[in-house]
Amino acid sequence: MNSGTYDAVVIGGGMSGLTAAITLCDAGKTVAVVSKGDPVCCLSTGCIDILNSADNPLQGISALPSGHPYGFVGQDAIIEAHERFIKIGAEWKIPYIGAIHESRQIVTPLGTRKTTCLIPKTMEYAAYDESDYIHIVSFKGLKDFYPSYIITRHGNAGHSVFDAAVPSTIGIAERFEDERFRETFAEWIIKQNIPEGKIALPAVLGIRSSLSIYEELSRRTERTFFEIPTLPPSLPGIRLFNCLKKALLARGGRLYWGNEIASIEKLGASIEGVTLKNPGRVARVQGKAFILATGSFVSGGLFARMDSVHETVFDLPVSYPEKRSIWFKETFFSTGHQIEKAGVEIDSSFRPLDGPFENLFVCGSIIARSEVMKYGCGHGMAIATGYAAARSCEGFIT
Amino acid sequence: MIVKDVIIIGGGSTGCGIARDLALRGVSHCLIEKNDFAAGATGACHGLLHSGGRYVVSDPAAAAECIAENRILRKIGRKCVERTDGLFIRLPGDSKKYRDAFLKSCERLGIETEVLSPTRALELVPSLNPALEEAVRVPDCSIDPFRLCMLNIVTSQARGGEILTHHEVIDIIKERGRCVGVRAREKLSSSIKEIRGKAIVNATGAWAQRIARLSGSSLPMTLSKGSLVVTNHRLSNMVINRLRPPSDGDIIVPNEAVCLAGTTSVAVDDPDNMDVTAGEVEIVAREAASMVPEFERVRLIRTYAGVRPLLHAASEDGRQISRNFQIIDHTNGLFSIIGGKLSTYRLMAEKLCDAIMKEFGLKTACATAEKPLEGQEELRGYPLSKRLESLKDIVCECELVSRSEVERVIQRINPKHIGDIQHRTRLGMGPCQGGFCTYRALGIMQETGKMPPEESMHILKEFLQRRFKGVRPALWGDQLREEQLIEYIYLGILSMESH
Repeated sequence: MNSGTYDAVVIGGGMSGLTAAITLCDAGKTVAVVSKGDPVCCLSTGCIDILNSADNPLQGISALPSGHPYGFVGQDAIIEAHERFIKIGAEWKIPYIGAIHESRQIVTPLGTRKTTCLIPKTMEYAAYDESDYIHIVSFKGLKDFYPSYIITRHGNAGHSVFDAAVPSTIGIAERFEDERFRETFAEWIIKQNIPEGKIALPAVLGIRSSLSIYEELSRRTERTFFEIPTLPPSLPGIRLFNCLKKALLARGGRLYWGNEIASIEKLGASIEGVTLKNPGRVARVQGKAFILATGSFVSGGLFARMDSVHETVFDLPVSYPEKRSIWFKETFFSTGHQIEKAGVEIDSSFRPLDGPFENLFVCGSIIARSEVMKYGCGHGMAIATGYAAARSCEGFIT
Repeated sequence: MIVKDVIIIGGGSTGCGIARDLALRGVSHCLIEKNDFAAGATGACHGLLHSGGRYVVSDPAAAAECIAENRILRKIGRKCVERTDGLFIRLPGDSKKYRDAFLKSCERLGIETEVLSPTRALELVPSLNPALEEAVRVPDCSIDPFRLCMLNIVTSQARGGEILTHHEVIDIIKERGRCVGVRAREKLSSSIKEIRGKAIVNATGAWAQRIARLSGSSLPMTLSKGSLVVTNHRLSNMVINRLRPPSDGDIIVPNEAVCLAGTTSVAVDDPDNMDVTAGEVEIVAREAASMVPEFERVRLIRTYAGVRPLLHAASEDGRQISRNFQIIDHTNGLFSIIGGKLSTYRLMAEKLCDAIMKEFGLKTACATAEKPLEGQEELRGYPLSKRLESLKDIVCECELVSRSEVERVIQRINPKHIGDIQHRTRLGMGPCQGGFCTYRALGIMQETGKMPPEESMHILKEFLQRRFKGVRPALWGDQLREEQLIEYIYLGILSMESH
């Protein structure tokens, strides 16, 4: 049996789990992250929504109903967590633009404006006035990007199509990693004689080196570009995930990737370790403390049966609206479905309330009442609670 | 102004069947449908071509019609009928007396049966409840109602029939007490067309009363809602029935890559306003699970409801009312046809057309039972296996619909709604229920210049709301995950507003 022992074991390799793991590494702890696969973060826009329902997210957070996970973190820690995140982004060459006290807007593939807070540098110029000319560059055969949606909403827009010979965002992004392709593309842009104004393109500017690709393209063409985050799979989301993963590995963190948990080893009120489903050989991961960061329904941390909601790793108590008939509102366009409140209740030290374990901490959207869609607080809440749960866990270990 | 001999209102199986029947008898006609083909009960049923078994004890006359039509449709509609056969299964506690009556009546009506041991039944359908006591095999089939309608229309159009979909009849024109025409409003442009005819057929199913009222006639009928669920894969290759008196949730029908299960029977007033309730879904899922236990775990990707238009009766329970159809001559040039079922659509059309021929003093006989449905030879790339051949450029991953297929439909029919494409390609009919591909299909429609983008935004919103209404009653398990992802995409990533 292959086994490892760590100060802390984080279950779940998404935004909150990786943030918690990095925080613990920075505190000098040995950390392992166990994940069953790539996280929901890879489907995201790559932007950090902190509290989209407020013009000033930091202020808005203090006005949230009591019991929201942000309330357990506290303002100073929220600021600290995001400052650390921005530093990590810069360190791994995906610099983020923006400030935590100010919401900003980007453009979506439907031409609508999406409110968010911190954005990757490649989207810096996404804000534009109604009178600005915008030129959209799309790619032949790309099935998730249709410029006409945007042109309808923004009358002063033009459009050209480049043939990258691959029809997927990831395929095109891979091509942009090649210098000769970038050269060809830049020459083509110059030949288009695009009128003065910004150039928008779907987010395909590379997988690993988006910043240098973006800067090189701007330099070669002497134009201002911005990326529009596409439907999943989304490059900015993948870049964000890769950045956190690299940051963790560089700090000596260990990843157990692609493994579901087969069983849990308990001793009294303590979790001793977890064994992983691993074809071929069994792996056992032991720790002094555990952090549960498995997310909500989409990522599989919670699972709903016809009449009840369950936590999938430790079978922790879950609070949820009881009758299934009220889980969802009647219309698609009304956010704030009751089911969004489902999750694990925590105490001020980020331990599950009424849970059977004393060395287990919880972070991310699996926490009850996070209502990520209603408040537009996904990644921000993950970063803040990931940081805070790690701090609390650190205090427990030492 | 359009002038034809007969005006048919309603583009369900009955209306489309009448159009084909009249075409083959050489009678000119115009069909008017307010939405797309099969938009009412036709497209919201099980898609079951009955062997008659279901009615054999309770309504032998209906059962006799079913088996006769079953044989005809198997012969003339090879490409829209899947010869699955069906099993009536008897579970512990189900009456043996009913089984005896069932077999006796089948024999009398000439419905082929074969009594199977549990072992043999489980060999045929391994997902069956292993506790079953026996099964009876009958010639039930699965039938695609959308294709059926469109194939009937092929014959009509080839012989000069005028087909107006997305046209709503707003007025029936009367002269000297007789109905002589209708005014129809095109839904998108709101332009009004006048169509004149010597006879008007009201084949609008649940909406028949409304049309009859436009002509000043009344038409007492009862509406009964039946709710169904769709699974994300094909749990059985045969139609499964419960061997007991017809009840809620006791039919499972395989259809392409999925299975449909239902139904319920609830009296309703308004055919345009129907919601499937969480309670109905639980009844259907539970009943289906008693026959195929996998129903307890399977993803239910959609719920929907159809309205059975039933001839007026005082009875509380919609199931007690005969499913037989009736033709009503309003003696003012309007003929209504109500009741019946998808399986007997052709017979209904034949009888209705006979009545019209009599009215016109013509003698040409019905030819619909002998001639194969036209246009079937052109159906290609439809079965999933064929679609695998062109894996390139797939825009609907669930049903493997390619971009070129969507473009072909757009070029051919000039679609006005996403449903026009869905029903012709199966785009959006799979597990994600159009969550991903509708955005793409509308984008492609914009690119081909066939649809103004502002309109496609409106259609996208309408689609998402309708989709949500269909999935909401069955949201738990993996389907709930999928739904939250779709919500995240449209309201998060795409930041769609409600208005």
